Order: sequence, then structure tokens, then C-alpha cells
Amino acid sequence: MNTFTRHPFNPWDTLGERLLASTAVKVELPPSQYAKMVERKAAIEKHLQRDGSPLKDLIRIFYQQGSVAIGATIRAKFRSEGFDIDIIVELLVEGLTPARALDLLYHAVRGEPGSRYHDCIERQTRCITISYADGMHIDLSPAELLDPYDPRKSHIFHSKPDEPRWKDTTILTNSFAFAEYYNDRCPVDQAFAEEFGKRVRASDAQLAVMMKDADSLPVPDHSSVVGGKSAVTVALQLIKRNRNIRWLPRNRRMPASVMLSCLSLEVAASGRTIGENLRVIASHILDRLTAAKRAGKLIHVENPRCQGDCFTDRWPENFGDQDVMISDMKLFLNQLDVLFDEQRSFKERTQVLEAMFGETVGRQVRDEFADEQGFLIRSGKHSVGAAGGVLASPSLVSERPAAKPNTFYGRSWPGSRNR
Amino acid sequence: MARKPKSLAAQIDAMKRRWPGFEPTLGLEPQTVVWFGNLRGYERTFRVSVEFGNPMAGSASMCRLMPVVRVLSPSLIMNFDAAEEAPLPHIYFEGPNYKLSPLCLFDPKAGEWDRSMLIANTTIPWAVRWLAAYEIWEATGRWVGGGRHDAHKDANDAA
Repeated sequence: MNTFTRHPFNPWDTLGERLLASTAVKVELPPSQYAKMVERKAAIEKHLQRDGSPLKDLIRIFYQQGSVAIGATIRAKFRSEGFDIDIIVELLVEGLTPARALDLLYHAVRGEPGSRYHDCIERQTRCITISYADGMHIDLSPAELLDPYDPRKSHIFHSKPDEPRWKDTTILTNSFAFAEYYNDRCPVDQAFAEEFGKRVRASDAQLAVMMKDADSLPVPDHSSVVGGKSAVTVALQLIKRNRNIRWLPRNRRMPASVMLSCLSLEVAASGRTIGENLRVIASHILDRLTAAKRAGKLIHVENPRCQGDCFTDRWPENFGDQDVMISDMKLFLNQLDVLFDEQRSFKERTQVLEAMFGETVGRQVRDEFADEQGFLIRSGKHSVGAAGGVLASPSLVSERPAAKPNTFYGRSWPGSRNR
Repeated sequence: MARKPKSLAAQIDAMKRRWPGFEPTLGLEPQTVVWFGNLRGYERTFRVSVEFGNPMAGSASMCRLMPVVRVLSPSLIMNFDAAEEAPLPHIYFEGPNYKLSPLCLFDPKAGEWDRSMLIANTTIPWAVRWLAAYEIWEATGRWVGGGRHDAHKDANDAA
């Protein structure tokens, strides 16, 4: 007998999905910020190619890596408008030592006193960070191409200024190939993508025309505008957000985003809601960590397109880190159960949402839901589901027509000032 | 011209058709009926009772004036610290157990409900709205369902 299964692609289909999707929209890089990032990227590239720059005509290519390249950028936890953008600056100069490569890029970006970036950059161990007043950070990592026949197989440089130079090293990477691999394999469900994109654009009051610079590799168009957002990537963003919430107070290195991206992709499939993806991905991460623990090892995740490009080279540092993440994933799955438990109160479900993704974002989602639903209840324009409840998604067709508007009446509690 | 009141039988019939999960039983007083059933504000199930009866001389029961809806389980939670509508929103406070107080679902002075209307098409959907707004009130302390309060404390107007 054929069995018809129901796949609710609409991210606002049930209360749990609705709360998750609204949270994802809140932590997503909005199109206007994306456009700003593109402008800034172009400005930095132009600045590096200026007359007098130590890197004039010495940059082969300038491309974004990491979250931006796969459409999974999220807000930083402690900056309401903060986004961290990673860019690779592939140099034409060969044989640079790590310290020299990083210093060269640092001086090229910094420029003369009074110039644009002079007072807002910092040299890190592997990159140069430009900090903007609105909270955006752009990390520029110098790189050297290793194999012209395996494009963008490169190494980046590691040089901690306060350590002896003999500790400097290079690290194999091919983030470009991984981004391609991820984007090729991450499934996009059109109905989901359209609905999600609509909400992302509606919530972005500063949506501006996206800009591209013809002189550089095109940045990926914002996923909510062109191409469509994958529910897998939305789930990945929420897992990264949860990781930030759990790990930032611990003040230690956290699991790398690229490791989470790779693990998410290992179990990616189409036709799942955000909640289903979260459950599948979190269970998979837990399984991988638990298997490593049972084998007495630390988890090892490698770039599927570049052997030796290890995504777990800096985390976990030890078994303690790994155990903490195992506990986090178990807690996350339990919290997910509460979020989707229909017999829990809205209060309990939104409280667990705050615990999972942060109090500020959780409350915003809760309060916006309250405002929207209040309008629908007062106007009688809500939909009523087959089981009798008000549907969390106003876009769905109602099973029963809603009744005419009514005015709630009654008495105040004796002595109360409520009226 | 006033519309013709619906009979108790017509109310029972309409409830059976639109809300088949609601079981009617005879009320404690003559010519009254009580339905027991489950309703959802959003997804959580609430057990409610709906009591209604024909007018009867000498009886002051509220259910003879209007349908009386009570939430049986899970119990309503009183919140005296709520920013709005503390300690419970839009109910007709009735002791000793205030958590079983009737819900105030319509404005009687505005003529929003009369006996010509079917409980199945008005009272029950309004109770669903009340439960949805209650869920939000419980979480936020804000009552988003709108409404007004009786300024004159007229017991006969409470709904």
C-alpha cells in the first residue's frame, strides 16, 4: 500500500518550526549587510592595489571563504550587528615566511597614518582583522597557491607575534574547494527557500541593491535572494548559534564552524524541515564525537576535497573539549524535544528557545510572534487548524473558517488597576 | 426584527457536526446541557466544558444567559505579576477556585452574541482565540487579544 507522507516545507508550518525559522532569520546575515560586506571587500581590494602599496600587482585573487562562501554567516553573539567575514588574499609572491607574509599584508592594509584602515586593523596569528564601527569584522588571511592544477589548494600562514619564529608554520587549506563541494551538495527545496527568503527580505529594513565588483571573483549572491536557501544551511546556522551561546562564556577555543559545516553535509538530504535537520545533524555530530571517544581518539574531520586539510586541527584540543561538546549535543537534542512537544506551554517552549539560541533573540522571536498573532486574533483573520488550534502560520489554508471578530470582556481582579 | 433563537436541540446538533469531539451531557439543572471536549490555543490541548441552558424563571444561572466556558485542565495559572490582566485575563472571577472561572468571550453590551447564534460557530472559536491569547499572556504577561472591561461591575453583563 502506498503511504503518503507529509513534508511541511513551509518553515512556519508548526509552532516549533515557526519559532526556529524566525530565530534563523534573526541570526542570518541580512541582504543589506551582505551588500555592505561586498562593498567593503571591493574597497579593501582596491586599497591593496593602490599605488605605493607593498602588495600592488602581487595579489592573484581575493576570495571569501568560510561561512560567507556557503551562505551560513550568523551574527556574533555579543554584537547585535556584528558579522565575521573571512577572506583569502592569495599572493603571487612565493617563498614568504609566515611572519613575513602576515606582516606584509598587515602593512599593506594599514597604510599611512590617517588612511582608511590605519587605526582599525589588528594582526592575528593567521590573519589580519579589520574592525568596522557597526560591528562587522573582516579577516584577511594571506595564502600561497600550492598547485596551479588543483586550484585553490594553498597554504595559509601561522605566526604568533609573541612566540619564537621557529614555531611559525604553514597550514594546508582548500577552503575554496570545500565551499564548492558544500554548495554543490547542499539540497535546496524550492518551497522552503522561497518562504524563507521572503521572510529574510521582509525583516531587513535596510535592504539595498547588492553590488558586485567585476574585478574580483563574484561573491555568492545572498542565498535568500538568488539560488535559494537550504534548510540544511539554516539548521547549520542555528547549530553554530547554539555553539556560540554555549562556548563563548567558557572563554576557550570553540568547535570550528567549518567542522560543523562538514558534519552537516555528511547527513544532508532534501525534504526535511529545519527541526528535522537540526535533529539529524545534532544526532550525527553526537554520534561522531561519541565514536571518537569510544576509540580513545579526538574527532578528526578533513576537507573532503583536500586530503590533509584538517578541520579539527585546533579543536578539540583535548578529551575535555570533546566531552563538553558531547554534553552540549545531548542537551541540544533534549531541548529540541521540548521545543517540539505540543503539550508544553508556549511559555516553556519559548523559554527553551531562549536557552538554545540566546535570551535576546529568543525574546524578540517570542514578542514578534505575540504581536503578529495579536493582530490576527483581534481581527479574526487567523486560521484554525483541523485540531481546533490557531495556526502559527497565517499563510496556510485553514481547515475551518475562523469566526467573526469578538471582544473579550469581563472584570478586573478586585483592586487591580487593569482596565 | 429579532432573529429567532436557536433551540437547545439545534445547538447540540450544530456542535455535533462542527466539533464532534465534544460530548454533550445533561446539566445539573433542568434544560441545561454541558459539553466536554478538547480545544487548542495553538498546539497544547486544553480540556474545557461548555454549559448552556434555556431561560427559566427563578433561575439565575449564568449558563441560562450565555454559554459558559471553563478551562478544566491543564489549570489556568494565575500571575499576579503580569504586566497586563493580572492575575488572569478576561474571565468572570468566580470563587473559590478562580482557575475554573468562566471565560469572558464577548461584549454583551455590543450585542456580539445572542440566542440566534450557534455556539459551535461563535463561542467555541472565540474560546480557541482566548486560549491562544492566554498562551501568549502566560509567556509574556501581555494580553494581545484585545477586549475591554466592564466599568460598572454589572454582574449580569459579565461574559
